[in-house]
Amino acid sequence: MATQSTFFRTPETPAAEPFALRREAPRTERDRCKLRVFPHEDVVFYCKKIDNSRLVREADPRAGGACWTVIGAATLVLAFLTCILTPNVMNRVAGYKLESLRAEAQTLADERRTLELQEANRLSPERLDKLARRQNLVTPTANQVIHLENTGESKVAMVNK
Amino acid sequence: MVERRLAWLAGFVLIWGGLILTKLVALQIVHHQDYVRKARARQEQVVELPAQRGAILDRTGHPLAMSVPTASVFVDPLKVPELEVASDLLARELHLDRAELSQRMQAAHDNHRGFLWVKRGITPQEAEDIASLKLDWIHIDTGSERHYPNASLAAHVLGGVDFEENGNGGIEKALEAELHGASGEARILTDVKRRGIDELVSTEAHAGATITLSIDENLQFVAEREIAAAVKLHDAVSGSVVVMNPYDGQILALASYPPYDPNLPPENKKDAEARANHAVGVPFEPGSVFKVITLSAALETTKLRPDTPINCHGGVLTLFGRTIHDSHVGVFGFLPMSGVLAHSSNIGAIEIGLTVGKDAMYDYVKRFGFGQKTGIPLAGESKGTLRKLPKWGSTSLASIAMGQEVSVTTLQLARAGSVIANGGMLVKPRLVLKKGDQTSPIEPPVRVIRPETAITMRQMMEGVVLNGTGKEAKLKGYTSGGKTGSAQIFDYKTKHYTHTYNGSFMGMAPITNPAVVVVVTLNGTSGVGGFGGVVAAPVFRVVASEALRILDVPKDLPDDVPDTNTQIAKVQTMDDVADASLGDGEPNILEDRDEDDAAAVPVKPASTPVAGIVPNFKGMTLRAVLAAAKGLPVQPDGSGVARLQSPPPGSVLHQGERIRVQFAR
Repeated sequence: MATQSTFFRTPETPAAEPFALRREAPRTERDRCKLRVFPHEDVVFYCKKIDNSRLVREADPRAGGACWTVIGAATLVLAFLTCILTPNVMNRVAGYKLESLRAEAQTLADERRTLELQEANRLSPERLDKLARRQNLVTPTANQVIHLENTGESKVAMVNK
Repeated sequence: MVERRLAWLAGFVLIWGGLILTKLVALQIVHHQDYVRKARARQEQVVELPAQRGAILDRTGHPLAMSVPTASVFVDPLKVPELEVASDLLARELHLDRAELSQRMQAAHDNHRGFLWVKRGITPQEAEDIASLKLDWIHIDTGSERHYPNASLAAHVLGGVDFEENGNGGIEKALEAELHGASGEARILTDVKRRGIDELVSTEAHAGATITLSIDENLQFVAEREIAAAVKLHDAVSGSVVVMNPYDGQILALASYPPYDPNLPPENKKDAEARANHAVGVPFEPGSVFKVITLSAALETTKLRPDTPINCHGGVLTLFGRTIHDSHVGVFGFLPMSGVLAHSSNIGAIEIGLTVGKDAMYDYVKRFGFGQKTGIPLAGESKGTLRKLPKWGSTSLASIAMGQEVSVTTLQLARAGSVIANGGMLVKPRLVLKKGDQTSPIEPPVRVIRPETAITMRQMMEGVVLNGTGKEAKLKGYTSGGKTGSAQIFDYKTKHYTHTYNGSFMGMAPITNPAVVVVVTLNGTSGVGGFGGVVAAPVFRVVASEALRILDVPKDLPDDVPDTNTQIAKVQTMDDVADASLGDGEPNILEDRDEDDAAAVPVKPASTPVAGIVPNFKGMTLRAVLAAAKGLPVQPDGSGVARLQSPPPGSVLHQGERIRVQFAR
């Protein structure tokens, strides 16, 4: 239980003294730092206990329906927007990935061509001829090379090998 | 009062709306294209989709020419803030000489040049390093560069490309449309960081087709190696080799000397001259090789047969007021027609040519494909020279009969040799096997001579290798046949024939069923050592042996066949050189110094005593053959039973001649 004066700590205004009996002192006589009186400072508030236990909310099925309608509509709108936007987002993400993979594929293809060129350089007959001469290798004569096949004696030779 | 205010408000709203509408019209309609372009410039990136130039492969799939992506760095010297710092930076990143680069950049800056190549063909790592610098005065130009991994190998076949990768010679030029392809264009939607989000291809890029040639890389290498060695050994000027499959016309090797590296641009006149393809684009007088055509025409149109005696007039013949000398003056009286070919008698060839006649001769020379292009897809092919019949002079028939007054290319000779080898059909040389995945169609061959004529010619050409001027062309393990040629080179300044030669050899192996035809030509040889039998036949031997090995052709002879004629031939070769005479010493347009001077086995004139009649040995064993020969000299080849013999049964065998018998199982 408190009045405004007690709350704002104004001791010169006794809570018990009625407003009408209070003697107004000249402003100049008062402490300069003292707060001025609030309007309705003397009004006292009391807590009043209210018992609503017997109150019953009136049934309103239409309001509930409307609520669910709003929720449903919002969900539908959200789903609709998701359906609309998801492919775009996915498309954008896939686009990034695709471009990245495409660039990588191009790089790999270029690397492959470069490696093929290096391989061709390594396997050039002139280079092989030089290497063979260095190791005293000679070209086989005609019919000296026998291509093994999976038949007859060749088959046995292949197994033995 | 209220109505007035409302009117003002309405007017204001109307004007406001009108302004907005006007602006919208301006944005969406009037300047629509401008803004679309500006938006695209910011949001999209237009990139060219380069069309990779098609590769050129050999018949086994090994690359002979291919394009690889390259990047090159250039700078704008006028925008470079500090030349010294820039050259230092670039030299470090690109592994260049700093002082030299600084000098170049300074010179470009002083000359107010806004463009300078710093380094071409940088590595991907270098490109990445340079790009990461993000300097606005450094630019990277990406492109494609043509590479020939085998350097000079098959360079005359492949040709080359210019700096824009357009073919400027050989297959590169002839098949430019197929190789080049078509570049495309794409618009790439990019984000604020210029990263690609989506790609819209406006024009699809079409890569050039891969061309598969009939050339065999290894055989080509051997052909080039051997012709280069022969040219150097005999001090020749140039040379060429063509190896051809006689049945379908596939060119297995086509070599030309001097070589060049198509990876490098020509720097001087010598480099430019080296790019001439001597096998296809430089015709020459064939000389005695052409006697094959003369004798083929004779077998087709006259009653002359291999054993028909031909009067060689002792090596001297006066024709239409001109005296024609044979190489072997006083040696040949009568020779069988096969002997005329084996010993390359000019007078004998002229006699045969005169029997054939102008019309038939011209007809058969044309039929063998001379005087016309072969149709091989190589730029700069020559059709040679064959004058039309009305323009022939009085001695033209005699000249052409022994290979003068006509010019041919090595490829034309190979084509003509194929006619003999394949049984009489003229095939079109085939250099391209496949364009992309499509096999090149084979043109149907045209019959030129009867099969029996071709077989007879093959037998006579075998005689050239066994007993005639082409002994150096004898193969180990295979029978072979051919014809040598040594034509004097005509000097247009002095209007006379010089003592330099076009030494050539046209041969095939194995003789019973030829798998390859090889023609070797060396231009500008000199002296006795410059004749075809000396300079070209050895090249044939090596190249043909390698070709037969690569093609895995079964041997038809044992590896070691005793050569009983070698010693005799060597002794008599010396005699021939001593006997060789140029007559009165004056150059003669019909004079064809031939290789038989250097390597001929002398054959006695027909007036020499007859040794006997040749029996029929067919189907006999060696023992039975020797018994049936009754003392006649027999040269056996191979093992098994007798399959072939030369001379044929019933022929007259003169003193000093031998009967060659081929045995097989």
